[in-house]
Amino acid sequence: MERPTPGEARPIQKTNTEPRLAIDRLGVHFGNRSALEDVSAAFGGSETISLLGPNGAGKSTLLKVIAGVLPATHGMVRFNGQPLTGHTSAIVYVPQRSSVDWTFPVSVIDVVLMALSRRRSRFLPFGGDDRERALRALDQVGMRQFAPVQIGQLSGGQQQRVFLARALVQDGDVYLLDEPFTGVDVPTQDLVVTIFDDLRRSGRTIVYATHDLAQAMKSSDQIVLLNRRLIANGPPDQTMTADNLRATFGGMAVLPVDAAHAVVRENR
Amino acid sequence: MIDWLVDPLQYTFMQHAFIAIVLVGVICGVTGTFVTLRGLAFMGDALSHAIFPGVVIAFVLGGNFLVGAMIAAIVVSLGIGLISQSNRLTNDTAIGVLFAGGFALGIALISAQRTYVRDLSTFLLGSILGVSRSDLMLTGAFGAVVLGTIAIFRRELTIIAFDRTFAQATGINLWAFDQLFLIVLSLAIVVSLQTVGNILVLAMLVTPAATARLLTDRFKVMVALSASIGAVSGVVGLYLSYHLSIASGASVVLVATGIFAIVFLFAPRTGVVTVAISRRLHYAHPERDDFSTEP
Repeated sequence: MERPTPGEARPIQKTNTEPRLAIDRLGVHFGNRSALEDVSAAFGGSETISLLGPNGAGKSTLLKVIAGVLPATHGMVRFNGQPLTGHTSAIVYVPQRSSVDWTFPVSVIDVVLMALSRRRSRFLPFGGDDRERALRALDQVGMRQFAPVQIGQLSGGQQQRVFLARALVQDGDVYLLDEPFTGVDVPTQDLVVTIFDDLRRSGRTIVYATHDLAQAMKSSDQIVLLNRRLIANGPPDQTMTADNLRATFGGMAVLPVDAAHAVVRENR
Repeated sequence: MIDWLVDPLQYTFMQHAFIAIVLVGVICGVTGTFVTLRGLAFMGDALSHAIFPGVVIAFVLGGNFLVGAMIAAIVVSLGIGLISQSNRLTNDTAIGVLFAGGFALGIALISAQRTYVRDLSTFLLGSILGVSRSDLMLTGAFGAVVLGTIAIFRRELTIIAFDRTFAQATGINLWAFDQLFLIVLSLAIVVSLQTVGNILVLAMLVTPAATARLLTDRFKVMVALSASIGAVSGVVGLYLSYHLSIASGASVVLVATGIFAIVFLFAPRTGVVTVAISRRLHYAHPERDDFSTEP
């Protein structure tokens, strides 16, 4: 499917009637094991959605299917009403930090410039305006002074900021982030929330995976509770009920502390 | 000393040998950067052995051995892709099966020839002193293809080496680029067969790149250093081979290994010995915590 590149004027396709992202009875199987079963949900523009569930619930799998990295076994994903087949630059995927070889000999700005590598001539080096754009994105995440630093020297929070800067340069309509709050310091968590708010205000859709219930409640318009199947889907105050959380995370005994708080709040 | 340097250059075969080994050093140095960063050393070893039957068949039939090697390389890389589709077998198992099988086939074919021993040693150890002018042209042409392909697709190859999932999410076709890289790698191996031989090709792919990685955190610098170290090892190795009368392939690889050892021990920031010494110099008496006086 041909997609206009960001930056150019994009035609508004039926965005008033169709949700931006519609997940339709999606199922993913790895051999005999099913990772996702019959999941349906719809996400609009200017929304932050958190995917919440225990390890192995299929959060990463769902993100990867939307990103076009994994094929769906059943069902499909629609983007602006069109079935999503293969890659579109309007959907930006930010992998889990642990998926990357951080000893790789590249600098911070090199990683950010990877966002543009498919959109520039392969016969020319990156131009000054490309580097300027990368530096501006690094500025937004407070990492400009780290531009020439080798990525192996960064802390977990700094690594996440670099990924975020690269995603900003990719400039899509939909941002998919796998565990952006995991293993990062509090200032970085706050920064990620600020960036989400900026993106949401400019009409973007943000979908991120997390197992931090407090974070999800604080910073999302919609919560998708997932445990291989869809448990619940809607605004935080409607989805975060004791029954739903129990169905997602199992019995009370394994509920994380934050979940327990949410349950207490619900029962008041 | 001047004589030591100039003496070998009076022979045409040595001039050819020097040009060939510099080309091989650069080609393998650049390709090897991607091999080491992606952890494909075993794949490189396997390809070099699996190419062997193709070379032998070409030799027996009197065809061009580069063509035979290319066909073998493509068959083997597709075969590895096919076998590793199986859920029960890992990629390196698939590589192991094909690499040993291919090598055995090559030896079986060549052992049926009358000049068995001489031919075998030529293929396995290289025969750098027999590099003709047309061999040089062919090496240069193949080298240009290898380096040109890597230059054109440098960004895709780098992103794939760094983060395969992100590469796929940005629309890079992983399967196509993996096959492309295997073909480039096979070409690099093929052009090295004549100079360093089948068994020692791996060293030219891995050792200069590994040495370069110890010296820098910059990708482009690593590529340039790896190519330079490959070429320098080749030239120094050839001189030693000429003056000490040792096999050229072994001599070149030993020089590369020697450079690696020196860098591993004494590199400015990463050397094992350097780091230990600088720790002693700077923190000889940590309890005093006094940085104003030199130790």
